Amino acid sequence: MIQDPWTDRLSEYVDGELPEWERHALESHLESCADCSLTVSDLRRVVRRARTLKNPAPATDLWPGIAARIGAGTAKAHDVVDLGAQRRVRRRWAFSLPQLAAAGIALMTVSGGTVWFLSGSARQSVVLAPVPSSPPGGAAAVNVSMRPNASQSYAAAVADLERVLAEGRGKLDSATVKIIEKNLAAIDRAIAEAQRALDADSGNLYLNTHLAETMRRKLDLLRQAAALVPVS
Amino acid sequence: MTELGLGVATLEHEPTGRTDPDAVDATLAASGDASAFERLYRTHVPKVYGLVRRMLSDDDADEVAQDIFVRAWQKLGTFRGEAAFGTWLHRLAVNVILARRETLGTRRKRYVEGDMVLETVPSRRATPEMSMDFEAAMERLPEGAREVFVLHDVEGYRHEEIAQMLGLATGTSKSQLHRARMALRQHLER
Repeated sequence: MIQDPWTDRLSEYVDGELPEWERHALESHLESCADCSLTVSDLRRVVRRARTLKNPAPATDLWPGIAARIGAGTAKAHDVVDLGAQRRVRRRWAFSLPQLAAAGIALMTVSGGTVWFLSGSARQSVVLAPVPSSPPGGAAAVNVSMRPNASQSYAAAVADLERVLAEGRGKLDSATVKIIEKNLAAIDRAIAEAQRALDADSGNLYLNTHLAETMRRKLDLLRQAAALVPVS
Repeated sequence: MTELGLGVATLEHEPTGRTDPDAVDATLAASGDASAFERLYRTHVPKVYGLVRRMLSDDDADEVAQDIFVRAWQKLGTFRGEAAFGTWLHRLAVNVILARRETLGTRRKRYVEGDMVLETVPSRRATPEMSMDFEAAMERLPEGAREVFVLHDVEGYRHEEIAQMLGLATGTSKSQLHRARMALRQHLER
């Protein structure tokens, strides 16, 4: 049996990859060839079927094994902050680097006190979640100054959360707003100082780590504060 | 003092298109935040797991999917935010899967022997009684055709990308895709 010479080109036709002259020729052929027309129809259905396949999650949660392998073995799902869905207040700060703890002790005191205050205001428990003993990817992973796109994403997230606070500040106690602003200012100063230091020594691992951690603390604080804003 | 300016309320899990929540979590995870990484894991594990199952087998899926996320954690420092985090993760997943196949030694000759294995997929149109699950039919495709079909039709990669990933000619990728589709058309639900 002689195979239709167009048969092997039908997928390319379905995908729109045939040159124009071949497409016209094939379309003329399809008008008179029922087999090829049926095949084209079937191929389109195969493509549609492939695009609608479901992706069920694994039967067993793989996270505990992953967490153990990346050094976050005791992290639990309930420690995850999900402000949009749950509006829960949780604390995920970590002080894993001794030198960072020493250098930032004053900052920790003031902003940590704010989180305690905010958590108390929300009448919710504070959960301490451990973090890995070392950051992923070594020194490069925490070099915030070398990742402009990621830094832009961070800035956008901070800006969004600040807008949430701006909209909701009228619904918050004035003393709460005052403490939030005071401690955001303290964190901003720490970020600015770290950035100035990095300008002079961009490869310094400690400074990069300190900056990344301080930026993360700002985001955490903003999240905590935004979670206090009542949903109208 | 930080000024709290006016604006529209947008939270991390309520994206407006302006802020990619994955990018923020990726930034946090790159600085060592395991909770942020867990959020990324929970968002993306179904798609990654599906890719592994279809490219390899159910037996290997758990282990390889776990390897992918561990590798992602190790490589987060290389994520520049130039593409969506999901795109970056997916490409990394494909690389891990292909490396695993090399380790298992399953790549040998599969593009050459594909025609022979393809015959194990019934060639006649199946009756309703004969028809098997579409996914099960995919599993019976020869590995080369299955890889190309999964990457192109399920995952949306272009032939040029697939050819580069798999070390094939673009024409080979196209022909493998067509063979896979022709075999699978027998297993469409009627």
